Amino acid sequence: MTSRILLIAMREFRQIAATRSFWLTLLILPLVFAIGPLASRFMDRSETERVMLIDRAGGEAGRTIARRLELDQARRELAALARYVDRHHLRRADPDAPWSRQDRAFDDADVARFVAAGGVAGALPAIRRIRAADAPEFEAPEPQFVLVPVPADLSRAPPARLGALLRPLLRPGGDAKPLDYALYVPAEFGRSSSVRLWSNGSPSADLVQSLQQVLGRELQARYLAARGVPVSVSGPAAALAPTIAVETPSRETARQRTLIRSILPLACAYILLMSLILSGSWMLQGSVEERGNKLIEAMLACVSPHELMYGKLIGTVATGLSMVATWAACGLFAAYATQGSIADMIRPALEPVSTFGAVATILYFFVAGYVMVAMIFLAIGATADSMREAQGYLTPVLLVIMLPVTILVQAVLRGAEGIGVQVLTWVPIYTPFAVLARLGSGMPTWQVIGSGVLLAAFVAVEVVLLGRVFRHSLLAGGRPGMAALGRMMLRSDAR
Amino acid sequence: MEHSLRLDGVVKRFGDMVAVNGLSFAVRPGEVFGFLGGNGAGKTTSLRMVLDIIRPDAGSIEVLGRSPGRDTGRRLGFLPEERGLYRSMTALDTVVYFGRLKGMAAADARKRARALLDRFGLAAHGKTGVDKLSKGMAQKVQLATAVVNSPELLILDEPFSGLDPVNQGLLEDEITGAAKGGACVVFSTHVMQHAERLCDRLLLLARGAKLFEGTQDEARALMPARLEMVSRHNPAGLEEVSDASLVGDAGEGWTTWRVELAAGRDAADLLQRCTERGFPLRRFEQHRPGLHDVFISVVGSAEARS
Repeated sequence: MTSRILLIAMREFRQIAATRSFWLTLLILPLVFAIGPLASRFMDRSETERVMLIDRAGGEAGRTIARRLELDQARRELAALARYVDRHHLRRADPDAPWSRQDRAFDDADVARFVAAGGVAGALPAIRRIRAADAPEFEAPEPQFVLVPVPADLSRAPPARLGALLRPLLRPGGDAKPLDYALYVPAEFGRSSSVRLWSNGSPSADLVQSLQQVLGRELQARYLAARGVPVSVSGPAAALAPTIAVETPSRETARQRTLIRSILPLACAYILLMSLILSGSWMLQGSVEERGNKLIEAMLACVSPHELMYGKLIGTVATGLSMVATWAACGLFAAYATQGSIADMIRPALEPVSTFGAVATILYFFVAGYVMVAMIFLAIGATADSMREAQGYLTPVLLVIMLPVTILVQAVLRGAEGIGVQVLTWVPIYTPFAVLARLGSGMPTWQVIGSGVLLAAFVAVEVVLLGRVFRHSLLAGGRPGMAALGRMMLRSDAR
Repeated sequence: MEHSLRLDGVVKRFGDMVAVNGLSFAVRPGEVFGFLGGNGAGKTTSLRMVLDIIRPDAGSIEVLGRSPGRDTGRRLGFLPEERGLYRSMTALDTVVYFGRLKGMAAADARKRARALLDRFGLAAHGKTGVDKLSKGMAQKVQLATAVVNSPELLILDEPFSGLDPVNQGLLEDEITGAAKGGACVVFSTHVMQHAERLCDRLLLLARGAKLFEGTQDEARALMPARLEMVSRHNPAGLEEVSDASLVGDAGEGWTTWRVELAAGRDAADLLQRCTERGFPLRRFEQHRPGLHDVFISVVGSAEARS
């Protein structure tokens, strides 16, 4: 009997595995894992914007703006390095360095110290010495703005002609790289507060803010000087800035901990749902085929209806689970054999569920959930004469499962485990999803065991009742109504 | 084991309808047994009970000396009336799959499947998907799935329906070959020519009840013997004749008569009587009733009665 069940299961498995849709579904997630980071690397165009400064006011304004842009870039690199150091616990590389401070926003003095110490290049040797082998290399953010030289014709051109001369630079034809901004500081700047900015799109708020600050200080200094305030007073006054202390009470709040612990169980709940949606039609196909192709009598002469049902159940469940196992293997490979954002995301999520109990619990609810829904699909397939007819049932069943599960997972993510989530935990058809979603938030043990036992009992009763529907439908003609389905479930005789 | 298949008082009801009513018969090894009846006679239901696809409400069934079940399945071959195959499987894999379901080892099933496909002219199509085979080829593959395990009991439900003449001949060869090899072959049909060519014994079924079981000669004996004779006188007066009707003038004073013999009398009795009495005869031709006539007479009258 067992060998016949396995033969049927193997045939089901092979048949599904021979379809293009199976391989497409199987490979889609690993492909996203593999191609996603690469694609973003190759497809991301540079975000650095090109700025041209046409300074006719003596050059001081232009130099000040250039220094400000360099300072802002160094601040961004310092902030990124500080986040990197904090994330990978590397402060001890140099506890006094500005990038080891997380207690305040970086002011100009911090940035100046950072630059004076060699910037990123100066910090990395100390960091690399103590960095863990599996920690990724620091990648400095690319410059936000870069200054480009002013062409000779533009530097000599009268102000009235600048617009015409800049237009082809801002909107070049073909693949030529456009100029993003051109700033004209007229000779009378100081007496006049006007400057002109050409842009090939909506101007960057960061650039406009920097220009306003730099040129504003210049104007303020001139204004104060005209009223007798010496530069020795107005200069430092303009540089005054508040020190903003930053307090982060705990790097990992209870909610963050819950979220990190919930990533894997929640992912399992979503993958369970997704794999059922993706493989639902395969399961239907498996049981529709014998009826549709008039094979059923020939099969029943060789195997019992029970053997046929269990073989199909095992075959379709094995197909779905092998797909999920492949995804899991790809996820583990991405977590432990690669570096990058996906590895950074998966590794911390795996740590809280690395115990045998946690893994066994997740596996149990995942497999039981899969079998439970697969059995429903199998019974639907057995009562339908064609795939089209069976698909008509599949969509409503999936909706009945999917909608509450989506709401449930969202509620768990928000930390709102209200009465609805509690109730769904004890409704067997939603139990696997609810338990998987709640596992990370510290579900009471008695609830895990209780809902697990309830689920096992439900699956056992389901297999018996839907098994009867499967058996009685095999040789019956036409589509049974609800009353007929009820009668089939209550008829215990084998034939 | 005296009988390969034995049914004793088998009854099967579907709701208020009695599909099979007290059916009893037995078939010996090496025998080709025809299961004849019209549509709805209960043939398929009876065969399904033999195959343990459905269970009888009363009576007993013995298959190869045991109760019906999957354990006897490995010694059994079955070709259903409604035929189909897994469209995505190859011809070879299909035959091997059914062989394995019947308990054959993988290597044996593969070897036997290759031999069968070769015998059926499908050696070059072993790796071809069933969905790419012609209907005739698919029918051969289906037949191969039924006989892959060299069954001791081969059950064929309306096996000739839908077959082209070439495949009909192939199937007839398989049936006679299996019987010569010692297998018991039971097949249902309502096409009497096949039964006449193949059956050692047959059973007539109508409305679930057995009307007749026996050899072809015994079946024909159910019908009054008919003959055609050319004589100078009306043969109606002869005591072996129950009815005589004039067919026409045969010339020079001779007339052609269609004669029906009285029950229990045969043509030899009549010929002897004519000779003894000096009854002038110019032609004396006996007409054996076909199974078709027997079927129409026996089944038709039974259905007319009910």
